[in-house]
Amino acid sequence: MEANRKLLRDLTPELEKTSTGWYITFIVLLVFFLVGIYALVQQIDKGHIVTGMRDNVVWGFYIVNFIFFMGLSYSGALISGVLHLFNTGWRRPVIRLAELITVISLVIGPFFIFFCIGRLDRLYFLFTHPRIQSPITWDVIAISTDLIGCFIYLYLSFIEDFAILRDYEDLNVAPWKRKLYKILSLGYNGTPIQARLLSRARTIMSSMIIAIAIIVYSVLAWIFGVTLQPGWHSTIFGPYFVIAAVFSGTGLLIILMWVFRKVYRLEEYITKRHFVNVGVLLTIIAAFYGYFTFSDYLTKWYGSIKMDSILIDKLFSEYYALFIFANYIGILIPGIIIALPRFRTIPNITIAAVIAVLALWVNRYIIVIPTLETPFLPIQDVRDAWIKYSPTWIEWSLTLAGVSIFIMLFMLISKIAPIISISEMQEKDKEEILK
Amino acid sequence: MLIMKPGISIYFISYLLISIVSDPLFSQDKTIISPYISLQYFKNSDDHRYLQTTLTYSLNRMEIPLSGTEISFYSGPAGKDLLGTALTNEKGIAAFDLSESISLTKNSDGLWVFSSDFAGNDTIETVRSEISIRDVKLEMILSQVDTIRTISLKAFTSRNSKEIPVSEEVIMIYIPRMFSLLPVGEAYLDENGTASLEFPSDLPGDSEGNLTIISKFEEHPAFGNVEVKVVKNWGLPASNSAPVAHRALWTKTAPRWMIITLSVLLTGVWGHYLFAIISLIRIKRESKKQKKP
Repeated sequence: MEANRKLLRDLTPELEKTSTGWYITFIVLLVFFLVGIYALVQQIDKGHIVTGMRDNVVWGFYIVNFIFFMGLSYSGALISGVLHLFNTGWRRPVIRLAELITVISLVIGPFFIFFCIGRLDRLYFLFTHPRIQSPITWDVIAISTDLIGCFIYLYLSFIEDFAILRDYEDLNVAPWKRKLYKILSLGYNGTPIQARLLSRARTIMSSMIIAIAIIVYSVLAWIFGVTLQPGWHSTIFGPYFVIAAVFSGTGLLIILMWVFRKVYRLEEYITKRHFVNVGVLLTIIAAFYGYFTFSDYLTKWYGSIKMDSILIDKLFSEYYALFIFANYIGILIPGIIIALPRFRTIPNITIAAVIAVLALWVNRYIIVIPTLETPFLPIQDVRDAWIKYSPTWIEWSLTLAGVSIFIMLFMLISKIAPIISISEMQEKDKEEILK
Repeated sequence: MLIMKPGISIYFISYLLISIVSDPLFSQDKTIISPYISLQYFKNSDDHRYLQTTLTYSLNRMEIPLSGTEISFYSGPAGKDLLGTALTNEKGIAAFDLSESISLTKNSDGLWVFSSDFAGNDTIETVRSEISIRDVKLEMILSQVDTIRTISLKAFTSRNSKEIPVSEEVIMIYIPRMFSLLPVGEAYLDENGTASLEFPSDLPGDSEGNLTIISKFEEHPAFGNVEVKVVKNWGLPASNSAPVAHRALWTKTAPRWMIITLSVLLTGVWGHYLFAIISLIRIKRESKKQKKP
């Protein structure tokens, strides 16, 4: 398989040589990551007492991060699946990024569960003594199924690119990389039979990945929904979580588009049109997300169940700033920026995306923490610090380590494979020539 | 005339000034707590007796216990002979055991006079409570004729070794359940100090059908809290084990619908994965075919 030389050089900027900027960024991120490792060692050595989690708030930053990363993953799967399935014309430069968000987030997310578990040595009980009735078992089955599915889907989308890289003789890369491309390309030559097989497998997997993403994130939401806790026991949580996930994932996609466009000078490939299209998608999802949020809190407020009322009072007093940021600013500002054509510039859309992603993280925080601080049976005569959650440097470090490894994995993948699909872009060129 | 050195006199005057000025400025407005005290007398089935005092105070209409405070217990004809002391626990309760070695003296009316007090301190006022108790003997006999189960009760006091029946009083019958006592009836004592009550036959007991039946005078102004307790095989044997075939959210075996739903979902998903993997294998085979001339 042959590729346009310019296209290949543009889309694989770090493949042949590594820039100084790459090294510096990687080392800085590595430092953050190592601080996180040190924090983890401290936690394993001294126990969970070094975290802010106590008897009431047993889920802190770790679970917030877990839900957040899993949300990013499912949204990446949904976005890439939908764009592929409906053969959206402008999808080509962004679909690979969405696929990578899916897999990388899915690999990182479950680690936060491990950080949260007190007795990791009993983790294998989940497999040796599974109970189908337990939502935790559903989650284990769902996440592992999703992880394998996402890997297959990502691999399918990479095969053509691996074949292109394998066949590109002028490519100045290490021999092990050439060998890797040869193995991973499975001898793909783009023959009609191979192309048909690959296309069919990708279509099947893209539709499957949409269904799995919805089911798996709903399962995660049901862990909360089936729990008789104020604020969690809600039938709307499944679709609410799915929409919230797509919201954050779309935001992250815009941020990554901006970063890669800037860093690798991909202005020719990732244009304003892509930002506007994904931005409009973000606005539509923001409207749905706002609707679900309003619906959830309205029914709880109107129902006036004692504990729900206490929780809502808490959200509008102690958590006022976070609540307003997550559910007002985080929804309205991105919507306004993108909806008004005069504000619709690439930097503005990116700022809107940053606000959306941060708001979603805060939204997860105010779903998890205030509820746990409002138990049906409060512990009496106990010091305030044991009831109120306040994250420690250990939790902050591990959170930053999670973000660091997320970016580092993106950087490492950019050293091996194109971050924009070469085969998809070639297809685009062919279509334009035919036009 | 005592003449002070100038240096010392400056220190002395400064000290006086600071003492005078600082007292109203820095002294805190101390709130004195006015506590409530209550004294109760308890007599158990095995004639074990004890006194119990509860010390609390009211804050914002809530009853707050005063823990760690020392309560003194007294008896004697005037209720002023010190028996001993005890500290209140986190619920504000202090108990004093009236063991058999303690000789109790009755007053001229044949009553035991008990009192308890808290001596008070800088922040809590002194408080005292007193009760007069007439010693009562409560007996319970359980009998069964055919299927009719009857509780017969007898209550009497003693004076000069002579039994005096307790009449026109109410005795409550309970059986203990998981969280509290379940009232199963009340018996009214006649002029002979006796009463009888039919016991229900449909109450669940333990695995062997045993029930603990308690009859008691509760917070009686003259007798205090007096109870008699008997364990009898009058309950229905309780079985906590679910049928083996039972499937529910909490049983070992999951409900069928869950297994079917999960199996269908996983088969569907993994079937599609398998299809994708087979496609990959066929792509690989196709390339091998091409290589062969």
